[in-house]
Amino acid sequence: MKENTIVSISTPLGKGAVAIVRMSGKNSLKFAKKLFHCKKLENGEILPRYLYLGKFEIEKSVFEECLMAYFQAPYSYTGEDIVEFQVHGGVLLAEKIMRACVNVGARLAEAGEFSKRAFLNGKITLDKAEAIIGEINAESDGELKTSLKITNGVLAEKIENTQEKLTTLLAEIEVGMDYPDETEETQLKTNITDKLSEIKEELNKILTISNSARYLKDGINVALVGKTNVGKSSVMNALLGENRSIVTDIQGTTRDSIKESFVYDGIKINLIDTAGIRKTKDVVENMGIERSKSSLNSADVVLFVLDGSETESAEDREIENLLKGKNFLYVINKTDKQRKLAKKDGEIQISALENKNIEELKKKIVKHVIEEEIDFNALIVTNERQFEILQDAAKQIEEILKEKVKSLDVLSMLIKKVWNTLGKITGNTENENIIDLIFSKFCLGK
Amino acid sequence: MEKMEEFDSVVIGAGHAGCEAALALARTDNKTLLLTISLDAIAFLACNPSIGGTAKGQLVAEVDALGGEMGINADKTAIQIRMLNRGKGPAVQSLRVQADKNEYHKQMKKVLEKEKNLFVRQGEVVSVEIEKGYKIITTNLGLKYKAKSVVFATGVYLKSEIIVGKSREAVGPNGFKNASQLSNSLQKLGIKLLRFKTGTPVRLHARSVDYSKMELQPGDEDIMSFSYMTEGKVENKAVCYLTYTTPLTHEIIRKNLDKAPAISGEIKGVGPRYCPSIETKIVRFADKERHQLFLEPEALDTQEMYLQGFSTSMPAEIQKDMVKSVIGLENAEIMRDAYAIEYDCIEPTQLKPTLELKTIDGLFFAGQINGTSGYEEAAAQGIIAGINANLYNKNKPQLVLKRSDAYIGVLIDDIVTKGTNEPYRMMTSRAEYRLLLRQDNADMRLTEIGRKVGLVTDERYQKFLDKKKKIAEIEEILKEKVKTDEKVKKLFEENGESLPKENMRFYDMMRRTNIDIFKIDETFNLFKDFDKRLLEVVNTKIKYEGYLKQQQEEVDKMLANENISIPEDFDYNSCKGLRVEAREKLTQIKPLNLGQASRISGVSPADISILSILVKKGKK
Repeated sequence: MKENTIVSISTPLGKGAVAIVRMSGKNSLKFAKKLFHCKKLENGEILPRYLYLGKFEIEKSVFEECLMAYFQAPYSYTGEDIVEFQVHGGVLLAEKIMRACVNVGARLAEAGEFSKRAFLNGKITLDKAEAIIGEINAESDGELKTSLKITNGVLAEKIENTQEKLTTLLAEIEVGMDYPDETEETQLKTNITDKLSEIKEELNKILTISNSARYLKDGINVALVGKTNVGKSSVMNALLGENRSIVTDIQGTTRDSIKESFVYDGIKINLIDTAGIRKTKDVVENMGIERSKSSLNSADVVLFVLDGSETESAEDREIENLLKGKNFLYVINKTDKQRKLAKKDGEIQISALENKNIEELKKKIVKHVIEEEIDFNALIVTNERQFEILQDAAKQIEEILKEKVKSLDVLSMLIKKVWNTLGKITGNTENENIIDLIFSKFCLGK
Repeated sequence: MEKMEEFDSVVIGAGHAGCEAALALARTDNKTLLLTISLDAIAFLACNPSIGGTAKGQLVAEVDALGGEMGINADKTAIQIRMLNRGKGPAVQSLRVQADKNEYHKQMKKVLEKEKNLFVRQGEVVSVEIEKGYKIITTNLGLKYKAKSVVFATGVYLKSEIIVGKSREAVGPNGFKNASQLSNSLQKLGIKLLRFKTGTPVRLHARSVDYSKMELQPGDEDIMSFSYMTEGKVENKAVCYLTYTTPLTHEIIRKNLDKAPAISGEIKGVGPRYCPSIETKIVRFADKERHQLFLEPEALDTQEMYLQGFSTSMPAEIQKDMVKSVIGLENAEIMRDAYAIEYDCIEPTQLKPTLELKTIDGLFFAGQINGTSGYEEAAAQGIIAGINANLYNKNKPQLVLKRSDAYIGVLIDDIVTKGTNEPYRMMTSRAEYRLLLRQDNADMRLTEIGRKVGLVTDERYQKFLDKKKKIAEIEEILKEKVKTDEKVKKLFEENGESLPKENMRFYDMMRRTNIDIFKIDETFNLFKDFDKRLLEVVNTKIKYEGYLKQQQEEVDKMLANENISIPEDFDYNSCKGLRVEAREKLTQIKPLNLGQASRISGVSPADISILSILVKKGKK
């Protein structure tokens, strides 16, 4: 039987030092090769059950350092080829890696699918598989039908409504095909393209808002960068309102990316202090710098801290280059001293020393990340699978609109596919429901 | 044991299911007895005088491809032919013919009578009993027959009652005698029955209709025929008309609703939603100002006209007023009254996808007795029941068509897996793979299967092979590369396509949105000697290639589960991982495979993943 290669995050969502993303299936290694850059892998010298350090391309030309391990069939949990990626904490990064795997051809695993495969390949006993899958099913069943409704009734209703619109559209198309003679009753009255665009907009809106709203759960990740001695640690301390990092005048004393959080306006903000980005031969510090660059990738917004009392240096420009295309803010520190730095677009002036304008900075951070006004009780998809499904549906509609399909039989097939995709969230995949609507909405028959 | 005549198979009922079943059996060398309540009711078109229509046209083409009779008989007796849904895409195009109702019956009777292994006999079956593996069939006159297998194709005759206003008569369609005792015999065999209802409209005298107030509905002139066996073209010999109800019609009906048995609760049977009586339409869609009605000729040798869209069980007196309120029917003479009919049928989930009863071997069921409606649905089940009764007689594995093979597969899978709570009608929207299940490729899908089960004659098979060869020839021609000359330029320009950069194959030209095989043929005159229908087939194949592939991928996914069979004696109740509802449903339906299991309502994807594990374990 032809089996797909599946992928999922196998460490629990939430906090953890390391997250593991796991692919299983015969194309695991092939997909890994497309994403993971490491000499040994490229040369085909990978040995099973060894850890390899390399760079994972999470987006086009955006790399993240990570570890890879390969388990060769049948010596793996599922009994298939497995590739695991280990990355530094944070759900966001793990999700990006998982999505990258999907983009090269892996499929998001169904609930319990790893265990199911493990059983089918004789790796775990039936009792164990039944227990695991039963548990997961109970969870996902609930998730689909009840918990979505209980925890987020508005969202459930919204998605149901959107699918309902597709049901109506399908019924209208279908009735014309099944009752072509009854033209008065069954002539297509809705403009399909308009309707599809409207539905696509709805889905996109949910997606955009949900994307913003993810920050509710995980908080906003804020990285601080800047050359050494511009006062990053002081800025961080000012934001936290307590002394956390060691603040000294000696260059290079902050060597770890430290995660600290505070809550502002109900939203958690995670601060990642970074070692100053500076060329150095000190190995320990170099690791810190690598880490800094990495924290840029997992940050939702970067605070580019500059010393207002100095003119722009080559190092500053280098960092600016590094930040190109990223979401960042110029934070001009040391307004207590005389300004020498040229004005930057959208800058915010603060003085960490005198605790000036810190509240403004916090406000700006939140605004910078969360563009949409969020109704926190409404349209938020926090479940990765549901998010993926909605995204998939929106993409399918976009393709239909792009292809300009004219033939109704094909059009109906494609719309039905979107309908089925949304059905994975609403649980409504019964074809009979479309037929029911045909008969309740239209007056037909001899 | 009493002395009784012995047959391989007995078919009960000679409607559209019974005829196909009997022919399939006789043609595969089974000594077959076809019992019918009346020889005059053989292949009777009890309701509208037409064969085919959306989804039904596909069924007829499939029955034909398997070696059945319906398509041939429809061609022989057609008086008008039309292709429905032109311009909506090849998947939903369906043929429909207006058939001469009297001829249809006569011609089918003739075919049955000519079949050498087939014995057609009038008689009402009152019981079927099982004795030492044999089936004993008894008629109302005490005649007894013995057979290895029985096909029940009783249509709407079981304990049927015709209802018009307050009148309720225990008769069959059109006043034929009904089968009053067989229901009880079925119950004795442990079979669960349902009570369904359907109806038929009035028949009017043609001379009393004012056609000048109606819209003419002519046939299509460029259509050939249903059957792959029919030579030449079906001629259009009659026309239909379109008319409408008026506010007066609605007023009369509203005023008399208390006399309508369907509304007052007098009729208990469940009627089909797609075939509501006119009073039901007016109650349920109160805001509609008018309803479409079609007037169809019943036969060439009669003046009777069928008024489609106007079925009712109102008292006869009120029917007169109702009819007269319709545009163009102000002076209409009713020749036959409209009526509703209630009848017994079986709960179809008691059947296997082979149409054999789960609990008793050798008993097959087909047609309206299974809770379906429609001549075509009946014929489709009839031929499958006939094929499988033959295979049963010969102790061979039986035939199941998959949902991806044919509409017939969808139809049978639906009723045996999900059951039905109203007479089941085939619709194209029920077929999830309908892009693949087209009328034009029915023979490509099914003729080999028909050949294997022995129903496709040498003649039909040769035609099929010839067609395949011709298609290959067309495809070969299309592979030819052409220089971008004036002709090509003209073709592309006229169709608003950008000119090819280099020499192009015809095949690739067809990938352009606005260019198809017919335009290419017009320009280059390539296919003078080819049947237009074949060009159509190739055109669809090429123009829809991407979508067909997409659908085929879905089919392949589905087949993964379809190919995991579940043992018949599988004990669902001992599976602790399954939810209780799922255990009950699975025990009741006894699905053949994981795919069928997944379509049972009340069985969740979670249950299926557990089940897949358990089934796999069982095999080890």
